[in-house]
Amino acid sequence: MTRRRVLQAVLYLLLTVLVILYSMPSIGVLITSFKSDAEISRGGLWSVPAQLNFANYQEAWVNGNVRTYALNSFLVTIPATVLSIALGVLLGYVFSQLPFRGSEALFILIVAGMFFPPQIVLVPLFRLFNTVGLYNTLWPMIIVHVAFGLPICTLITRNFFATVPSALREAAIIDGANEGQILVRVMLPISLPALAVLATLQFTWIWNDFLWPLIFTQSDSSRTIMVGLISLKGQYSVAWGVQGAMSVIASIPTLFIFIFFQRYFISGLTLGAVKG
Amino acid sequence: MFPLPSLSSFTRWCRRGNPPRRYQTSGTKGVSPVARSQWLWRIGFLALPLILYMVIVIAPLAYSFFFSLTDWNGFNPEYNFVGLGNFERIFSDPLFGNAIKNTVIWIAVALTVPVLGGLGLALILHEGMRGANLYKSLFYLPICLSLAVIGQIWIWIYQPRWGLLNLTLNGIGLEDLSRAWLADPGTALSSVILAWVWQQLGLGMVIFLAGLTAVPTELTDAAQIDGANYWQTLRHVVVPLLQPSTVVVVALAVINSLKSFDIVYIMTGGGPFHSSDTLAMFMYHESFKKYYMGYGSAISVVLFMIAVTVIAFYFRQIRALEHLYD
Repeated sequence: MTRRRVLQAVLYLLLTVLVILYSMPSIGVLITSFKSDAEISRGGLWSVPAQLNFANYQEAWVNGNVRTYALNSFLVTIPATVLSIALGVLLGYVFSQLPFRGSEALFILIVAGMFFPPQIVLVPLFRLFNTVGLYNTLWPMIIVHVAFGLPICTLITRNFFATVPSALREAAIIDGANEGQILVRVMLPISLPALAVLATLQFTWIWNDFLWPLIFTQSDSSRTIMVGLISLKGQYSVAWGVQGAMSVIASIPTLFIFIFFQRYFISGLTLGAVKG
Repeated sequence: MFPLPSLSSFTRWCRRGNPPRRYQTSGTKGVSPVARSQWLWRIGFLALPLILYMVIVIAPLAYSFFFSLTDWNGFNPEYNFVGLGNFERIFSDPLFGNAIKNTVIWIAVALTVPVLGGLGLALILHEGMRGANLYKSLFYLPICLSLAVIGQIWIWIYQPRWGLLNLTLNGIGLEDLSRAWLADPGTALSSVILAWVWQQLGLGMVIFLAGLTAVPTELTDAAQIDGANYWQTLRHVVVPLLQPSTVVVVALAVINSLKSFDIVYIMTGGGPFHSSDTLAMFMYHESFKKYYMGYGSAISVVLFMIAVTVIAFYFRQIRALEHLYD
């Protein structure tokens, strides 16, 4: 027994060291964002700041581009999250409550979309949005995120709806409800937890996306914060502190979700684990 | 569209434990008014999402195959058909071979560190030691960060003068080992992969943790009563029961490796001298930097073929698991 105790203590110590090492990168950015460049050049990037200095945040926020980038990110992420879930609910409802011959194959076709590397459709979509004149606007990102969000939204809503007892649906039919009324009045209210899972996942993925805005936008006025972060890097090539502050600002919405909706976020990851 | 080994078994897997479904057949004869009205609802519900999915996912997929046979440059409305010329060029292009090699290395690392590391962490943290929840949170925090931010953080770690890595090496007297990690063709790829693995580790851990909660304690207890030690219980009881999670983690590792683009673009852009190119990065470079969109499409077709192989393998494994538990 004592041997087991010692073993556990060693394991615990190892794990603690590992977790500290593992957290270093995030901590480094956070502390650097509070340091002045003079302090960084004296003590390096990784020393603890003498005092909290918010000048970097001020500088990042005063820069008009950063505000535009952040606003654009919200203008893409919120509608794309809402729409992908709304359309996914429609598909999930049909596949779980109104199945028909061939609906399983259709379902598989849609769910398989989760696995595709997006590079496969990059060139045709670039051409499509160029042709219809949406290049360098926010629309391509919204449209593409809704379409690419359909697989996970359909999978999760369908699986959730399939667990709803059929008695509920039958009672609604006897009361004279049509399919639209069943969906809105019966299914949606009880599926709020599942929709919360989807919302946290979709928001995080869409906010963090880098590839689509890189391909579909060109000017600062239509860039989202992740691409903006990278393009500002050149502008502040030695201003470590400002870059750190901007990295933190760009992460605040998803950190917020992570901290306050952790339960939903984790269950979503394990539920829809096929998407990364 | 592509060979799926088992359509119905996957859907069965997706709705494990769900009640059997009632098919409302609106057959050929005696179509009831109710059934007819349901078809209107079906069409109404399906129309918009399906049109969007066709236009944004399925049709572009077909167009990629089409463009891969052309020499389109991305700007001119005109292009010529070059037959399989792009594919001939791919297989004689040393840069393509290089990208394939790097992608294979990437997959190999992704299959060892996040999979085995994630399993190890999950096993330790599942024991429910003090502070386990805090530790779990710290390990999966990187999953919610953007790869753009993660790339930025790790550039600082590898920074030659101020970077944490070189400072540490100098501090413990290993100055000889310190170098410009991202600018050195010998270390660029592994440096980028390490940063990516840092994020992916938590994902593997979360999925294995979820799998572990499904392992019945009666089985592990029974094994221990039969005299099995910790490792024997792990090997013969826990790991086999974790197979569903393992399949998901392995498939994710491969698919996410194939997608690896953001972090490469941000940290090295595939350089120096293409030493950290992946397939996805190489495709972007040819299409959107050199404007060989026809050639880029051909690369994406190859990427698609690899992805389909992985997906087929995944579905096959899922089907095998079905047989196991039926």
